[in-house]
Amino acid sequence: MIEVKHLVKTFKSGDTNVDATNNISFKVPDGQFASIIGRSGSGKSTLLSLLGALDKPTSGSIVIGGQDLTKLSDHELITYRCKAIGFVFQGYNLVPNLTALENVMLPMEFAKVSRAERKTRASELLEQVGLKDDKQLRKPGRLSGGEQQRVAIARALANKPKLILADEPTGNLDSATGKMIFDLLHKLSRSENTTIIVVTHDLAIAGKTDATFKLDDGKLVSK
Amino acid sequence: MNVFTRGIRNAFRNGIRTLSIVAILGLSIGLSLTMLVANKAVGNKIATVKSSIGNTISIAPAGVQGFEGGGNPLTQASVDTLKSLAHVSSISESINDRLTSSGDSSNTNLVSSIDAGSLGQRFGREGGFGGGFGGGASGSTAGQAQTFTIPVTATGVSDTSQYAGSAVKLTSGSQIDGTADKPVALIGKDLATKNNLTVGSTFTAYGSAITVSGIFDTGTSFSNNAVIFSLPTLQRLSSQVGDITSATATVDSISNMDSVTAAVKSKLGSTADVTSSKDQAANAIAPLDSVKTISVFSLVGAVVAGAVIILLTMVMVVRERKREIGVTKAIGGSNLSIISQFMVEALTLTILGAVVGLVIGVIGGQPVTKLLVSNSTTSATTTATPGQRGSFGGGSGFGGGQSTGGGGITRRGGFGGALGRNSAVKGISNIKTQVGPGILLDGFGAAIFIALVGSALAAGMIAKVRPSEVMRAE
Repeated sequence: MIEVKHLVKTFKSGDTNVDATNNISFKVPDGQFASIIGRSGSGKSTLLSLLGALDKPTSGSIVIGGQDLTKLSDHELITYRCKAIGFVFQGYNLVPNLTALENVMLPMEFAKVSRAERKTRASELLEQVGLKDDKQLRKPGRLSGGEQQRVAIARALANKPKLILADEPTGNLDSATGKMIFDLLHKLSRSENTTIIVVTHDLAIAGKTDATFKLDDGKLVSK
Repeated sequence: MNVFTRGIRNAFRNGIRTLSIVAILGLSIGLSLTMLVANKAVGNKIATVKSSIGNTISIAPAGVQGFEGGGNPLTQASVDTLKSLAHVSSISESINDRLTSSGDSSNTNLVSSIDAGSLGQRFGREGGFGGGFGGGASGSTAGQAQTFTIPVTATGVSDTSQYAGSAVKLTSGSQIDGTADKPVALIGKDLATKNNLTVGSTFTAYGSAITVSGIFDTGTSFSNNAVIFSLPTLQRLSSQVGDITSATATVDSISNMDSVTAAVKSKLGSTADVTSSKDQAANAIAPLDSVKTISVFSLVGAVVAGAVIILLTMVMVVRERKREIGVTKAIGGSNLSIISQFMVEALTLTILGAVVGLVIGVIGGQPVTKLLVSNSTTSATTTATPGQRGSFGGGSGFGGGQSTGGGGITRRGGFGGALGRNSAVKGISNIKTQVGPGILLDGFGAAIFIALVGSALAAGMIAKVRPSEVMRAE
């Protein structure tokens, strides 16, 4: 269960304070596929950063699996991020000089998984997202956008996280590939019982998720 | 794949950039190593010069310089008192005279092995000495034009193992005892050849038959036109019994040089000019000291330049990969692991640069050192024409002294002192460089230092990258 209570994140912009998220509260049950929608600047990415323990809120709390992220030290947050959260970015953000397989192995290395185990699991994950054999040994530059996003999804799943946060995962893809990626995330949330929260502009995609949260000017306007 | 392999692979992400950085770093590290090689070679040379000439004190009669000037010779009795001074290891004494086979003052049948040439003739015309020995008009007026013959130098030494500042190198025959009065002598190679003398042959000096015990070679025409007697033999033959024209005191440690020099001056008073080789050594090695200083500054400059190159490179790389760093942090990478990866990358580039630099250092070490040393010592050294040493044969003559004995062949101090130092000074530019394991370790140590310093700022930048910024940039 993800439980967000009265979450506030304030940024300083010159002499004024801007509330990127303003007293947001919501709950997402385990294994649910949820979406966050809203206009640019509505606070979606900030909320995702807070949920992903990449940033600390100004006030409020985020409890994931009974653990309050706001009470963790920086070092604990790194460990938590490594083991409990997976990220999928709009621009894939794969390491360009590593192969697909090595990219998926990377988070497991940070989690101190043995080399043999991470190689086996990375290969399995890549097969699970539809990348087989020689494509696993290709560098990102030799893969299509859809394939790169599949690698990114496999990387997000590497340490069997409780939560996957996806920021516009289909934003750089054509509609057919986007649909394929969305279906893949949907399937994984079911098969792995992983909670997935997707930030998207695409209302059609949001409509297919289990729950949708709409943000406007940092406030949660509808659930 | 781990931090090390990723760091190493990252170093080769951009081939052209890697090549450029390695080339520039190679030049920088190469210059550092070259300077290190020069510094060590010059340091060794300075140590050699100091150890060879640094612990002797030259004593000459006051007012005498070579065969010039005037004054009275030292007495053997007064010089012998120096042996009792604290820290004096040994005293070697010598007396000098000249043998000539022409004119009224002829005192030998030996023919000089050196032709007077135009220099000798000029010196002979300009000075009383030339007239006295060369032209046959003993004590003749300076400036008279007469045929001048270079005399043969006769030296009586208490320690016959040393001549011209180094161990006597016998090409044939055997040594003589410097303390025994016997009609035997060592003669220079050129003089022996000129007079068809071999070991066992005899020649005449001061009306006595002298047997050739050995033939020596100093490597110079001037010094090979000489005869070495034992000290008492030459004192007796040249009617200078009890006289000393130069002495060299050897001190047990260079740290006692100042106190012993003061004690010798105090003992001999105004009758002697006392010169510490410490001062002369300092003058001799002054050009080398400047080369050493230059090499240290260049070394530091090159290392700093290398560090700045790698620093700027790593700063550029971190800026370029800011997003990648943010993403790596987002997926669980700690600051330590990311910084380590970048340090390995910097180290890889630097080690490659060090390998290139090592090649440059090995190839460039010797010529650069020679160039630096020769430029610095040009003003300190002179090249002698064969057969000429100082102002021999001319100049201002003997002056008013009672004895014809000067202070030695060249300058103050005679054979055992000044000539030895002169040889050492001449050898200063002859420096051999060596690239041993020590230099290699120093080179790689410098490379690691450069990599660490160069990646320090990058590490600070990495630590400041916030992964949330990556999300926001998306």
